[in-house]
Amino acid sequence: MKITAVQNRILNLTKNVKFQLFLTAAALLFLFRLFFKPDDVLMLQVINEILVVTSVSFFILYLLDFLSKRSFSPVSMVMNVGILNAFLFFMMTFSGTILTGLFGDLSLEESRSGLVYYLVLFFYVFLLLISFSYFFITFKEFYFLKQKKNVSKHFNTMIIFILLASFTAMFGEKWDLEYISLSFFFISILLIVINSIKISWIAFIVKKEKLYVLFLSVIIAILFIVNIVNASDGNSYKLVLDHFSPSLTTFFKLIMIYGIIYYSILFFTTLFHLPTAEVYDRKAQEVTSLQYFSKLITQVLDFDELAETVTDIATKVCNAHGSWIVWKADNEFKNIATKNIGYVDVKLMTEYLHDIFINKADEKTEIVTLEKFNRRRELSEDYSVIAVTPLKAHNEIKGFLLTVKKSDFIFDEEDKNALETFGDYASVSIENSRLLEQSIEKERLEKELDVAREIQRKILPAAEPQYKNLSIASVFIPAFEVGGDYYDFFEIEDDKLGFVIADVSGKGISAAFIMAEVKGIFESLSRTSQSPREIFIKANEILRRALDRKTFVSAAYGIIDVQKETLYYSRAGHCPVLLIRGETVEVLKPAGIGLGLTHSKEFADALEEDTIELKGNDIIVLYTDGITEAKNSELEDFGEKLFEQILIENRHEDAGTISKKVISEISYFSKNYPQHDDITLVIIKWKQKLLNNGDKEWQNLAPQLNTGAM
Amino acid sequence: MAEFSTAVKYRGDVNVIYLNGFLDAHTAPQLENEFSKLIEENKYSIVVNFKDLNYISSAGLGVFMAFIEKIRENKGDIKLTSMNDKVFNIFDLLGFPLLYEIFKSEEEAVKKFNEIKKLENE
Repeated sequence: MKITAVQNRILNLTKNVKFQLFLTAAALLFLFRLFFKPDDVLMLQVINEILVVTSVSFFILYLLDFLSKRSFSPVSMVMNVGILNAFLFFMMTFSGTILTGLFGDLSLEESRSGLVYYLVLFFYVFLLLISFSYFFITFKEFYFLKQKKNVSKHFNTMIIFILLASFTAMFGEKWDLEYISLSFFFISILLIVINSIKISWIAFIVKKEKLYVLFLSVIIAILFIVNIVNASDGNSYKLVLDHFSPSLTTFFKLIMIYGIIYYSILFFTTLFHLPTAEVYDRKAQEVTSLQYFSKLITQVLDFDELAETVTDIATKVCNAHGSWIVWKADNEFKNIATKNIGYVDVKLMTEYLHDIFINKADEKTEIVTLEKFNRRRELSEDYSVIAVTPLKAHNEIKGFLLTVKKSDFIFDEEDKNALETFGDYASVSIENSRLLEQSIEKERLEKELDVAREIQRKILPAAEPQYKNLSIASVFIPAFEVGGDYYDFFEIEDDKLGFVIADVSGKGISAAFIMAEVKGIFESLSRTSQSPREIFIKANEILRRALDRKTFVSAAYGIIDVQKETLYYSRAGHCPVLLIRGETVEVLKPAGIGLGLTHSKEFADALEEDTIELKGNDIIVLYTDGITEAKNSELEDFGEKLFEQILIENRHEDAGTISKKVISEISYFSKNYPQHDDITLVIIKWKQKLLNNGDKEWQNLAPQLNTGAM
Repeated sequence: MAEFSTAVKYRGDVNVIYLNGFLDAHTAPQLENEFSKLIEENKYSIVVNFKDLNYISSAGLGVFMAFIEKIRENKGDIKLTSMNDKVFNIFDLLGFPLLYEIFKSEEEAVKKFNEIKKLENE
């Protein structure tokens, strides 16, 4: 427990602290070497070795931290080891000459002393240390690269044996205990071999890199061999090291052996992987593409973006040089996405492929060469062959995925299969994307219509006004797509009732907003003027400015003066006002242009205002074209005739009953056909003016009495 | 929903737009495009033939209003011809006969344009 705690604490030290510890250990070692010659005394030798091992450990730990910040690809790590090896080779080759030149024969003990000697020695050892530490760290990285299981146990065991072999090396020379060191040494080599056997990362690099690694590994393995041979003869380098620290020498030796073993195995592993490299590359590519793509199926909300991605992956799936998609719209094949290919090229080749598109019935990918393409020269690149993959939706070919390769490249059987599989995926997700787009649009529209209906509901009067001589009823049935119908009552004075019915052109939310505006206009104008004509002229002035050119409002406005028993009314492009008097229907249709259609003068010149003296039981009917244009399943209109007939038949009822009757007839008529416009009906029944005694004489009065009462 | 289509025929300097089917809020943009195209080409003498139009909604009527100012500023006009009774009734209710010249036949409308041309040239 304690040991692991200490170990963890050392490992967790910051980079700088590790470096400082290394410097301290190295400095201690330097001072120690300066004053003692540890060669003969066991105690001194042990201290020397402990200092060496400590320095090396801290340096390796420091370097480990230093390098972990950067991530290298395996191939570049292989390369770096090679470079350092070459550097080591030159250092060893020339160090003998240089060191001998500086200090004379190094096998003599006298040469190996003095401050300068130690400075040079430490510098020399430091350079070696960098190389070896780097090797060691790289081997460790390689070992853990792409390992599936946790295998640190094997590696740690190996490190322990390497340390043991290094540390016991000092006993070999002087105390005849070489066999201890040697056994550790061979066990270490055995463990190195075991740990080097499985090189899994090689499978994950592409063919080109494998070739590169194959080439490098053989050179580097040879360099390792050269370097270790260099070190084992009477080279000054070995002399110096041996005298500096036998542990370090053994450690170096083991690292070099590790290098030889690892790179040899790497060479053979790569060699065995080569024949299957291409297949592996493709499979890996397919797997990543499909993973990428299946993720996209759920993610892509944007059709265009999806199409872009499909072309992108298509080029990767079959190693093509370019790709594009054509999609059928109005019996034409339009290019919707391209990858690595110009629009002009796409256009030319799409034209060339047109016949194939039209005649294509099966789901197979078809390979088309451009040999017979007479405009091939116009292409900006030397394209030679195209793979045509159908994209289907609902068992119907909706488009094509085209991939193109340049001269000297072909689409093989595997490319075809990959494209077909990929085409299926692409079809599904493109279809999904389209459906999603549609449903989002639908939802948006529904939300919008909800708002529009809400606005309309709030704009329309909640209840009819109450007048002694008037029976008033209104019905409003909104269409699914708000139609822009509006009606309102204005109680001008005690004895005057203004009323308006209007229909805004267009539908939906825009119509609803204009309705709100129209309500405001009539609301205020009804207070300032008591002439329907005047009100309309002013309303037209405002709306002409406010509305865009293609929007207008049809309306009818009336004022009933209860005292004078008179109806004043004007019509601005709206359906006529109906007056049911006895058994006849008078269609009141004074001239007038819709509001907002034209400028004030033309509007005013055309606009008429009529006056009618009301008689008992007169029924005034205002409506919008939602009533007369209500359709049945044969697409016949409900029509004015039927409407008038119902009004006449029910003329003796009060306004509420009449309106209910009309609506029920309309619903019966158009029960098999959806309502497509708002239906608005306002019925005002004139009851005769109260007689002096206060009796409600209007009830069930015969028509002739009715006239008499006037 | 309802089908709608347009066709354009050039009769000398006069451009005739033929309407077919149902002209409502959903199909109105098609007719708008047709007008925009003609205006882009500076063709301002336009006759609209309603012979095969079954239905027109308020949004459909709006299309004519959208372009008329621009066209009249350029000394052109939109003349309407060959409406069936139902369609005419809708135009009539809104007061369109006060704003547009409506003819029984395409010939009459074209003739009118040509007469104006002649007068201008004299």
